[in-house]
Amino acid sequence: MNGPARRWFEEIEVGEAYESPGRTVTEADIVLFAGLSGDYNILHTDAEFMKASIFGERIAHGLLGLAIQSGLFTRAGIPYATLGAGTLRWKFKGPIKIGDTIRVRAKVAAKKATDKPDRGVVTVERQVLNQRDEVVQEGETDLVVERRPAG
Amino acid sequence: MVGPVQFYFEDVVLHGVLDTPAMTITEAHVSLVPALLPLCLTPGLGWRVNQPPLAVQAFMGFEWEVLHPVRVGDTIHSRSRTAVKRSMREGGVIIEERQVINQHGEVVQKGRFTFLVAKRPTA
Repeated sequence: MNGPARRWFEEIEVGEAYESPGRTVTEADIVLFAGLSGDYNILHTDAEFMKASIFGERIAHGLLGLAIQSGLFTRAGIPYATLGAGTLRWKFKGPIKIGDTIRVRAKVAAKKATDKPDRGVVTVERQVLNQRDEVVQEGETDLVVERRPAG
Repeated sequence: MVGPVQFYFEDVVLHGVLDTPAMTITEAHVSLVPALLPLCLTPGLGWRVNQPPLAVQAFMGFEWEVLHPVRVGDTIHSRSRTAVKRSMREGGVIIEERQVINQHGEVVQKGRFTFLVAKRPTA
């Protein structure tokens, strides 16, 4: 039986690059993420207070942007046979505001074997861009990806 | 006008440790990438400590390691320690070392969060 298409560790090449579709971040996304995470920081929830801030309005949680790009990445090509995330190194460069449309641009920076024979680690460099092509977030993620099963 | 009660840069104690209350991970939670879920829950857990929220002006970045899986039914809490407190002309930088700990006391995820924090407004 063939399951959904997934790419094994062996099939992924260093230097491969992808760009995802865009996704508009809505007020509902921010409200739902506040509810899920329990993070009701005024940056994300108090429209009046934020009018006087350097941002001029509510901004999305940085980790909401991270979660959205993670989903966009899976739509940027055939998904990897990912077992999980290993490590993340991430910078928040600018705000994501309600109505902004973000997409992820990604490149495979490195591959390495692990001490387990059934998996390897793929390092992906990522930039999250808004509709003005400004980089609002960027970083690297180390993904643990399955090798093709023998036989 | 009195603004919301916040914990300003001056209030942060270098090397101070905060343990949050805990939260049980349920099936209803798993609408996010599971490895990112505990990471995304730590800021909310931080709101439940007996201290006003940090006056965060900007979340500048983080490094994070996923050490062990978290499953539905596990109960996690978060522990943070202020590792760096660096004053600047306006505001200051706070680096927190943060751990996510499960009901067995195992550290399942850990990393460092960097925040730009406001100083107390002068009256």
